[in-house]
Amino acid sequence: MLQETLTLLFQLLIFPGAAFLILLAFISEWVDRKVVARIQSRFGPLYTGPSGVLQPIADFLKLLSKEDITPDGVEKPIFTISPIIYFSLSLTALFLIPILSETALVNFEGDLIFLIFISTLITITVFLAGYSSASSFSIIGSIRSALQMLGYEIPLSLAFIGPALAAGTLSLSGIVKWQISHGIWTVFLQPLGFGVILICFLAELEFVPFDIPEAETEIVAGWRTEFSGRKLALLKLGRDLELLLASALTTSLYLGGAQPVSFVPPALTFLIKIFFVVFLFSLFRALFARFRIDQMISGMWKHLIPLAILQILLIILNVGR
Amino acid sequence: MGYGSIVKVPFGPQHPALKEPENFTFEIDGDIIVNVKPRIGYNHRGIEKAMEARTYIQNIYLAERICGICSDAHTTCYCQAIEELLNVEVPSRAKYIRTVIAELERIHSHSLWVGIAAHEIGFDTLFMHLWRDRETVMDILEFVSGNRVHYAMNTIGGVRRDITDEMIPKINSGLNFLEKKIKHYINTISNEPTILKRTVNVGVLKPKDAVELCAVGPTLRASGVKNDVRKDDPYAAYDEVPFNVITNDGCDVFARIIVRCEEMLESIRIIRYALEHMPSGMTRVRVPLVVPPGESVSRVEAPRGELIHYAKSNGTSKPERYKVRSPTLANIPALCKMLMGQHVADIPIVLAGIDPCFACMDRVAIIDLKTGEKKVFNFEVFRRHIQKCYRKH
Amino acid sequence: MAIIKEAIKQLLSRPVTLKYPFERVAPPEGFRGRPVWDMRRCIGCGLCSKICPSGAIEIIGKGKEAKIKYYVDRCMFCGQCAESCPRNAIAMTSEFELANYSREKMLYEYEREF
Repeated sequence: MLQETLTLLFQLLIFPGAAFLILLAFISEWVDRKVVARIQSRFGPLYTGPSGVLQPIADFLKLLSKEDITPDGVEKPIFTISPIIYFSLSLTALFLIPILSETALVNFEGDLIFLIFISTLITITVFLAGYSSASSFSIIGSIRSALQMLGYEIPLSLAFIGPALAAGTLSLSGIVKWQISHGIWTVFLQPLGFGVILICFLAELEFVPFDIPEAETEIVAGWRTEFSGRKLALLKLGRDLELLLASALTTSLYLGGAQPVSFVPPALTFLIKIFFVVFLFSLFRALFARFRIDQMISGMWKHLIPLAILQILLIILNVGR
Repeated sequence: MGYGSIVKVPFGPQHPALKEPENFTFEIDGDIIVNVKPRIGYNHRGIEKAMEARTYIQNIYLAERICGICSDAHTTCYCQAIEELLNVEVPSRAKYIRTVIAELERIHSHSLWVGIAAHEIGFDTLFMHLWRDRETVMDILEFVSGNRVHYAMNTIGGVRRDITDEMIPKINSGLNFLEKKIKHYINTISNEPTILKRTVNVGVLKPKDAVELCAVGPTLRASGVKNDVRKDDPYAAYDEVPFNVITNDGCDVFARIIVRCEEMLESIRIIRYALEHMPSGMTRVRVPLVVPPGESVSRVEAPRGELIHYAKSNGTSKPERYKVRSPTLANIPALCKMLMGQHVADIPIVLAGIDPCFACMDRVAIIDLKTGEKKVFNFEVFRRHIQKCYRKH
Repeated sequence: MAIIKEAIKQLLSRPVTLKYPFERVAPPEGFRGRPVWDMRRCIGCGLCSKICPSGAIEIIGKGKEAKIKYYVDRCMFCGQCAESCPRNAIAMTSEFELANYSREKMLYEYEREF
């Protein structure tokens, strides 16, 4: 009994729980920074740790030790609590993702719905965080992020549903199991859905060309302008976890997730796949200019939603099952 | 429109899109700008006054420091004004060297600007790549003049350094590389859909407005008006070098990008011609330190547009009055016109579209802090005001 | 999509950034760095100190016994002193890493050795 509790605690807090996930989040930030830097003919992080792999951690620790300023006029309770919510929401969602084996640490029928719910909640937290800061830049940023959600939420949900329809289950672990037992990745059956989910996650992660809520040259740092010190550190960590969550979800839904390949443990294949997806995100983020918010929303509704619906129709018509 | 509520949004003096402190107040209806009020005077450095306290030789270096990016244009303009006062003819080899440096500077300034424009619309990769290739021209300038930014090539009566025959192959190989790269960037920019989406039909300035509001330089030429001091009032060796004045009928930010890119290619052609046809002879003539009394105006096509210097001498070794009208000041009214009716998100790229250099153009603005009123002082009132202030403290 | 080609090319090639304190580029010939005085040639005319646009040069004493004080923190490396010197006693070196924490260390003094 005691041993079981201890094992569960170890799994939740250390491996593959919180500590491992946070470490993984930092590493995915490093991968992202390194890839973008190399595309731009720079080195990126270089001196902290081998090839600068510890740089995100160093940045995090530095921010923790910085002065935490709460400006006058902010909505204090929301301003204080929103970074914590933002960070914990992404972390919570990550527990639902199968990492070590095809079954996640926490899994139940319908956890896919829960994941969609969390991804919406993250945006709402962002909106609240920006809106409570009472700065004109933050308010513009948060309104833009809420508007942006109107653009990408529906195609994102549809792209979530595609693999679920094919596998006949609403559980993420179930979808991964289905892919492993059928020996095929969903991406080959539903390439349209894969494209849609990548674009939607770029928007959710606020990466170029959809970094409209935090467009540096337009509205400084967008919704995070007023945050500093510990709060900013938590926001940055939350952002890294969101990146990890996005790539882990893409991997699990479309790339076969934690899949054992002969003697390679499933966790390793999973890691390779998520870093590949992070690489894809970084590549896209380096190749475009930023859209304007009206262009983004009309583009999403005119092109992305029809594509997502077309994918669902194809599945219903038994193509790609 | 018709929401009925107009919001005033301040932009600057501290803002990431502005590299220098300047303030614009936008009146915004929904997401559309209905009115713009620029407020200059944050970065006044008193260079014109400082020039009156220095000798003509020292002023060359002060004039160079009016602007870090068009440093050569300012010294050329200054030296021309003083040479006119002295009635000195510059040797023709010096004129060719001035042309070469001016065009190298134009390449460096325009490629810097295209990079900034890419950064303003969030395209950081293009920005990094452009600035990486811009190093080539910076290296050429450093190698020719001895410094990357403040070349100190011009002096009254000529140039300080010669471009020797050994330098020419190195300059030419750099130019070949740049030509290839600039063509690549023109191709990239005109084929990248996200760039087109953000720049085409943004910040439109009709040719009629451009002329009426006295826009200058690439901003004016991107509105389809053929106007270039190099052609209209040739200085240095521009009357001997054949070149085209680049114009574009697009009238928008995209046209401004393309005009600047094509001007870079034209500059490369000018440099090649000038290097090939450079006459031999002296590079400078000795001039007296004391300048006879008189007045002169000199015009130069700086990378950003027409630059005007005015000098008044009184027969001593220091100027009595010096005045600089830098191109950004002339473009401000046109800028306000362009911003009208734009989306808030387009402010940075439209603002950057004129290639602003606020510190060069800044004027003193006297503002009553209590009432927020702007005042214009004449000399008498100003002196009394200063005396009053001194008595108080 | 020329940018994709360029991006992939960059991804596979070495970045152009130089790791500055460890990798240096030598400045080109004729670079205008810190000026040095050759006191054997100096005649103490004081032209350099008079012409200097930023007042970085001070001359103490007169003639051949003159002492030169050069403040590198005021200098803007225009090279006018070297150009104006009637005896070519001033040369621009290629030394450019001249930053320091204290102003005292940024003062160079030149004296004639007998």
